[in-house]
Formats: sequence, C-alpha cells, structure tokens
Amino acid sequence: MIDKSRKWLKFRIFIVFVVFIMMTVAISARAYQLQILKNQRLSQLAERQYRRVISVVPKRGVIYDRNREEMAISIDVDSIYAEPIKISDAYKTAKELSPILKMSEKELAEKLAVKRPFTWVSRRVSPDQSIKVRNLKLSGVDFIKEGRRFYPNRETAGNIIGFAGLDSKGLEGLELQYNDYLKGETTYSIVERDALGRIMSHGLRQREEQTGNDLVLTIDKTIQYIAEKELKEAVDKAKAKSGVIVAMNPKTGEILAIATEPQFNPNIFWKYPSSSWRNRAVTDCFEPGSTFKVFLAAAALEKGIVSQKDTFFCENGSYNVAKRTIHDTHSYGWLSLQDIIKFSSNIGAGKIGEKLGKERLYEYVRKFGFGERTGIDLPGETPGQVRPPNEWSQIAVNTISFGHGVSVSAIQLISGLSAIANKGDLMKPYIVKQIVSPEGKIIKEFSPQVVRRVISEKTARDVTSIMKTTVLQGGTGTKASTDGYEVAGKTGTAQKPNPSSGGYFKDKYIALFMGFTPADDPNVAIVVLIDEPKGLFYGGDVAAPVFKKVAEETLHYMGILPTKIVAQDSPTPPKALSKPKGSDGLRKDADIKEEGTVKSEKFVMPDFTGMSIRQILRMIHDSKIDIRIIGSGRAVEQSLRPGSIVNDGEKCWVKFQQPS
Amino acid sequence: MRGKSGFDYILLLFTLLLVGTGIVMVYSSSAIMASGKFNDGYFFLKKQILFAVVGILMMIGVARIDHQLYRKIAYLILGMSLLSLIAVLIPGIGVKVGGSTRWLKMGPFSIQPSEFAKLALIIYLASSLANKEKNIKKFSVGILPHLIVTGIMLCLIIKQPDMGTSICIAAIMFTLLFAAGVRLSHLSLILLSAAPIVYFLIANIAYRRERILSFLNPWGDPSDSGFQIIQSFYAFGSGGVFGRGLGEGKQKLFYLPEPHTDFIFSVIGEELGLVGILLILAAFFIFVYRGISTAIRSSDMFSTYLALGITVLIGLQATIHMGVTVGLLPTKGIPLPFISYGGSSLVLNLIGLGILLNISSQIKKG
Repeated sequence: MIDKSRKWLKFRIFIVFVVFIMMTVAISARAYQLQILKNQRLSQLAERQYRRVISVVPKRGVIYDRNREEMAISIDVDSIYAEPIKISDAYKTAKELSPILKMSEKELAEKLAVKRPFTWVSRRVSPDQSIKVRNLKLSGVDFIKEGRRFYPNRETAGNIIGFAGLDSKGLEGLELQYNDYLKGETTYSIVERDALGRIMSHGLRQREEQTGNDLVLTIDKTIQYIAEKELKEAVDKAKAKSGVIVAMNPKTGEILAIATEPQFNPNIFWKYPSSSWRNRAVTDCFEPGSTFKVFLAAAALEKGIVSQKDTFFCENGSYNVAKRTIHDTHSYGWLSLQDIIKFSSNIGAGKIGEKLGKERLYEYVRKFGFGERTGIDLPGETPGQVRPPNEWSQIAVNTISFGHGVSVSAIQLISGLSAIANKGDLMKPYIVKQIVSPEGKIIKEFSPQVVRRVISEKTARDVTSIMKTTVLQGGTGTKASTDGYEVAGKTGTAQKPNPSSGGYFKDKYIALFMGFTPADDPNVAIVVLIDEPKGLFYGGDVAAPVFKKVAEETLHYMGILPTKIVAQDSPTPPKALSKPKGSDGLRKDADIKEEGTVKSEKFVMPDFTGMSIRQILRMIHDSKIDIRIIGSGRAVEQSLRPGSIVNDGEKCWVKFQQPS
Repeated sequence: MRGKSGFDYILLLFTLLLVGTGIVMVYSSSAIMASGKFNDGYFFLKKQILFAVVGILMMIGVARIDHQLYRKIAYLILGMSLLSLIAVLIPGIGVKVGGSTRWLKMGPFSIQPSEFAKLALIIYLASSLANKEKNIKKFSVGILPHLIVTGIMLCLIIKQPDMGTSICIAAIMFTLLFAAGVRLSHLSLILLSAAPIVYFLIANIAYRRERILSFLNPWGDPSDSGFQIIQSFYAFGSGGVFGRGLGEGKQKLFYLPEPHTDFIFSVIGEELGLVGILLILAAFFIFVYRGISTAIRSSDMFSTYLALGITVLIGLQATIHMGVTVGLLPTKGIPLPFISYGGSSLVLNLIGLGILLNISSQIKKG
C-alpha cells in the first residue's frame, strides 16, 4: 500500500518535472527563433532605434533681393523635447512647463506620460521661453537647435515670398514655388542614442548643417517698399477693397516689385485670413477695361488696318451695336487713333475693333500673352480668360476692344505693356534671378527670355508715342505725368462683372493705370490697380497719381536723371465736341480738379546722413516733404540743409551711395 | 552524518554559479542607470554583493538546521507571514514604490513580505499535506483548508498589488496539491471557478488588460504598450549566437524597463547570446532536476513536499521570467531567481536552497 502510493507520488512529481522540461524546451526554441532566425531583422530594427532619427528641420536657404538684401532668413532657435522614460512624474513636469509654454497641463502630461524614448514638447520656442525652461532644470527635458524662418522686413514683399510652415515646408509664394531648392536636406541627427536620447559613448557623430540654397530675386527691396507704401496710401484713401502694383523692367521681364493690399506679416501668417496670403497680381484676374485699347491700337497699326491719320466717328457718345448701346464718358465726333487712346473713347475703340475683325483682334490679344499663363515663377497663376472668336457674341469685337469680356491678370497686363515698351518683344516675367548654393556657387541662373516678337519696332514706337499723349493735357491720365520724366501710359476704369447676374455692377469699379517711363528708353513699367475705390473711381483719378509717385520715386532711386521734356505741341482737347454727360452721374470736366488745397505747414529738415532709403521714407512718411532719391545705399548728401525750415511739399534731393 | 548522503554539492555549485552570474549581470545592466540616478555606477552591484553574502551565510546556517523543525512551527511561520502581509497594507508601515505597496522598512533595508510568504506557504502546505495524507482525497480535508489559507494570502498580495507573486503562489499550491494526490476532478473544479476571478482581475484593470493585449500583438502599438516586450525582442535578436559581449548591450540603456530585475534575462540574451541563454537554462534545469530528485528520494512526505515546493518555487519563477522576456507569457514583473537584483528575493531563495540542501543531506544512502 505504502509502496504503491509512493510510486504514484513519484509519478506525479515526474509529471511536474516533465511540465518543467516542456517549458524549458519552449523557452529554448523561442530563444533560438529570436536569436538565430529573426536575428537579422530584430538587430536591424534595434539599430534603427539607436540611430534615433530626430528629424531636425534643416536651415532653409536665404531669400535675397536683387541687391543681396535679406528678405527671408533662417535662425537657430531652441526646440524642446522630452524623454518620457526619464521623467518620473509627468504631471509635475507638465505643471511646471505649462505656464511657460502656454500649453495646457493635460496636453503636456499626456505627451510626457507615454513611455516613449523621445517626444517633442514644443518646437521653436522663443529665447525667453527657452531660458525659463532651462532654469527649471527638469530631468528628461532637453533642447535641440532648429531652424526657424524669419522675415526681417515683416510685411514687405510678404505676398511674393510667402512663408514656410513649422516643418520647413514652403506653403505660399516663393517659399512654396522654390521649396525644393530652399529646404535643404532634412537633417537627421544620426547619432546613436540610448532611450533617453543621450548620445551613446560609441559612435558619436555631430549633426551636419545641411542648409538649403539661397534665392536671389529680381525684386528690389526699395522699389518694393515704395510700391507698397504708395499702394497702401492709395487704397486707404480710396477706401478700396484691395490693390495691386506691379513694377517690371520692361526690357528684361525682371519683376522689380509686386505690392498687394491687403498685406500680411509672414512671421505670423496664421494670424491673418488666408485670403490675404495670395499674390493677387498673379492669382487674380480682372477685366482690363480701357488699358486694353493700347493692344488694340498696336494690332491695328501692325496689321496696317489703321494708320495714324485715320479718323473714326465716335457717334457723339452713344453707339448702337446689336441692339445694345456703347457709351463714351464724353461725346466725341471724329477722333484720330491717337485721340481715341488719349481720350479713351470706347466707341472709337469698338470701331477700330470692327475694322480689325475678331480673328485678328483675337490673334493679337493672344500674341500679347493674354489667355495663357505667363509662366512666372510664382504659384497659383491664373491664365485669365480670353474666349476664342467663334464664341464671341456680335458685340464682343467692340467690347473686347475696350477691355470688357476678357479677363487678365496684372502680370499679363504688365508683360503685354512691356512688349510695347520693349520695342515689340514680349519678355517672360520672372522673379528669381539666381539660385545660389550655401557655398556661394550659382546653381541656376535665370536670364531674360523673349517669348515672341509681337509687333514691329515701328509699331511699338507709334503706340508709345500715342500713349505719351494720355498723360498730356486733356488726356485721361494727366495725373500720371511725372516731373521730369516722359510717361507712356493708359488709364482704365472697368466695371466689375457681377457673377450672379451675368451683367456688371453699377457701382463697383477697378481703377487702372499702366505705363512705362522714361517713355522712349524705359527703365520701369508699372501697373497700378485699385479694386473698388469709393468716391472717385476713374483710373485717371485713382490709379494715375499712384503711378506718378511710384514712377518718380523709383526713377530717383534708380539714379535716372530727370530730362527736361521738350514741350510738345499737344493737341488741345477738342472742346467743341465735348459736352458733359451729367445725366448718369458721370464725370464732368469740372470735377477734375486738384484734390483739396493742401495747408501749408513748416518742418525742420532732418539730417539724413547715413540713413537708408527705407529709414528716411519711414521718417518722412507723415510729413509732406517731397523726397527725391538718387542712387542707393546710405544717404551722403541732401539738397536741403539739415535744420532748415522747409515748407510743405518742398522738394529735397537726397543722394545715396553704397558704403564702401 | 552517518548513513546520510551529505549535501547535494551539485545543487549548491550550480546555484552559486547562478548567483555569481547574477552579480555580474546586475552590474552590467545597472551601471549606466545607477551612475545617472545615484551618481554611483556600482550602486546596485554593491548591494547585490551584500545581499549575496547575507544570503549565502543564511543558507549555510539553514542548511545545518534540521528541516523537520519547520514542520513543528509551520503554523507559527504561516502566522508571522500573514501578519507581515497585513502590516504592509497598513499605511505608514508599508512602503509604497511606483504604485505598489510591497515593502516593509527594516532599518536600512526594505524587505518584501511576499517573498517570505512564498516560503511560508510551502512549509505550511508541505506540513499540512503530509499530516492529511490519509484523507487527501476528501475535498473538505485535502483541499478546502489549503485553499482557504492560500486564498487569504492571495488576497493580501493582490491588494499590494503584486500579480507576479500571486500567480506564483497559486501555481505552487496547485502543484503541491497535485503532487499530494488530490482528486483531479477537485483540482479542475478549482481551476474552473478561479477562471472568472482571474478574468475579472485582468479585464477590469487597464494596465493588466493592456499587457495581455500587447502580449497577443506586441507590434500593434510598438511605441506604447508593446514597447517593453519589443525592446526585449530587440535585445535577444541583437544578441545572436554569442551576444554583443559582456557589458556591450545597448538595450539596457533605458530601452528595456528594469533591465536589472524584470528584464535581466533579455540583457543576458543580448550580451551573452544564445549560448548564454542556454547555459542559464541548463543551470536552472540542473537545479530543478536535483531538487526533484531530492524530493523523490526523501523518505518522509513532509520532506518530499517541502523539497518539491522549493524546487517548483525557483523553477516556476525562472520559467515565468524567461517566458515573459521571450514573449511566451504576458508581461509580469517577476525577477529571475538568484540572478535578478533584489535583496528579499535573493536571500529568501538562498534560504530555500539551504532548506533543500538540508533535506538532501538527510536522504539515506542506497
């Protein structure tokens, strides 16, 4: 009995031993599987983990203006990361960090409580925050340098440059367009790290700087600033919805400035509505109105349909075509081609259009670059809208002749204008001159590019001389006439189309002026667009004065000396034929008068020596001193002695020189 | 010692080898952490050496005490153990570390009553089962009292909470009941009625549920709940056949949680490779083999059960620890006997070895 039970006891203990043997075998087999069969895969994964890839935002390249002035730079700032494994009390740490980083305690604690070896706490903090967190000496909380984008000129050129997001991804403007060049190689800190993110003693490797390439723009910061300053003033004054100024070197297609209103500060882009981010000069299109007559004239002259001497009967201001009536602001009888442009007669333009025919009109509209993208290196360009002639209504040949029924962008308009200024060659507009590697090597260079010859040199000259009359006495653009520089230009006032009714708004206008100067050898072509001005709304009233200011300041800045204009015997306005058309509230000649009388005030002339153009422009922004800029760099000379008492509106020449 | 076979020196030798390996591995896995935490890379090494010395001295002492003594004072030992478990739960007496109250402060040291409880329960069960040998088939005699005593102990330990020890204790009870020859139907009944309780304990506590889920699919969320076990896989995987070499492991550098206690086997796998793993397994196998043979060769039931209980205690903890680290079992914080850092565990396991040695020394020759 005892023996038998003893035997069973031994058997049961043996079973326990067998179970143990089975478990030992299972563990051995599993160890074999992990260590031999999966050896490679697992050690790879482990290796990858040690090479903890903290992707560090690379330093983006710098964006310079044409004079190598910084427009966008990257600065090293601290990013805070945590090693939650090292943090014993996530809530305590979160509580201490919360007020400094302005993050909720709960959010922080959640981040810190997850047992990961690495997590970002707050990226790109301010130096002040960094110091405060450093002073807390929290274990498991550490810092790494990251690049942060900084736009030193704030709003200036914001709509051109755009901005880059937190992860150094270009989101708007040039930052987006040239992101691949600017961003540089994403740097990973490929040091071997332990789970606390500390560099292991073996295999230490420093993070290599992988800066992106720099951009050198065609933009000139000073001209950009001038354009923005004048645009803002004009838009504010006219209580307009928005505005655009584009300045271009008509001979090369280089964009010198694109000012847009409203502006935004790319340093804090998220605080602005996204509608203010875009570059309206490129993304938005509008009906060009009477500015389009210039291209009509060019086509008609080029085709020999119309000669300078031909006259057209302008129906005394009212012309019925296809059951509709075209009006002129003033009634005219017989007008020459030149006067049709000068006085901006819609009826006259329509008649030229009729004579030219829709096929040829369409041909030249397209030749000047309308209806297709210019290919400018900015994102979101609109092609505008130009319908093929077989879709035109009967009246379209008339209306398109004076710029209604087509839509164009400001970039297209200035490119077309520049083709005339450039003796017939259409240039491709561009905004980046060079892409330069961090070592200073030019990686890519953009040079002027002729798209096509649009009109002959002779036609270009003829159109230019017609355009010159616009700013002369009696023309629609007299307010664009500059002191000392000859201007070739054209006004435009376009009613805005109403997309819901298909017709036009009765009270919403776009006021335009486009021109180039000096007319015969232009340094700059400028388009001014004021969208929905209140009160005065004519291009000649609202946009032309802006052109004048921008053109003058730009030429002075460029150091182009004013030439005395040889008095041309401009034709006196054909007053006999002109009679006011007051009935529909349109402009009477009498309305065109100097805007108010400026009160005379006296100022003490400041000493500008050593100041930059921007500083001076800022300083005198509120006063009425008329500063004329010559050259660039730092102020070395001024025509009015510092300390002298000057009258309101007095001119002062300031000469600038690049510091040697 | 006439007529006796003397101490089981093989058992002693291999155990001391494990303790020695443990000291080395505790240092290797804790040095960097310790130098960061305590500014002393030898912090854990020094303490582990001290524990080993204390443990070995106690083992030598215990090996000279006739183990039959414990049969007489089994209830005293059990009572002391239960009291200390209750004391731990009294606020102010028990020391709370990382959410668990497992320690009693004794001068400069903290001891874990639950480690003592394991040995106390084995002594109680061995004595009680030996006493009730004749009526072991009766549920009320063979099972019920043991179930109640173990149940009380389990409740106290789960309260700490210490799931690892709880499972050990339950498993030891089952093994001893099984060895003592209770009806299998009774055992199955206990298992079936325990199942809902176990399920309740797991499913209702988020971190336990997460551990089970991450055990079933560790790669489901490798950065979070599956983090520990995946880090352990990396350790074994990186080790290969011969390992990175002693001290060369990277996983202990804060990737593995508790590399000097709960995941020391992973560190061994990484640094000493499959060879090291198999040697450790072999050492434990020899320990268990010698322990089982001591149990079988012992002439009286108490000695048999006691030897078996101690052997199973060591073998089971080792198996669970190794099973967890290789991903065969859900994550449980159980130290590897003789190797992992920890004073109470090392000293108590060495005391257990002393008892085992004493049993082996009293086996009659032939």
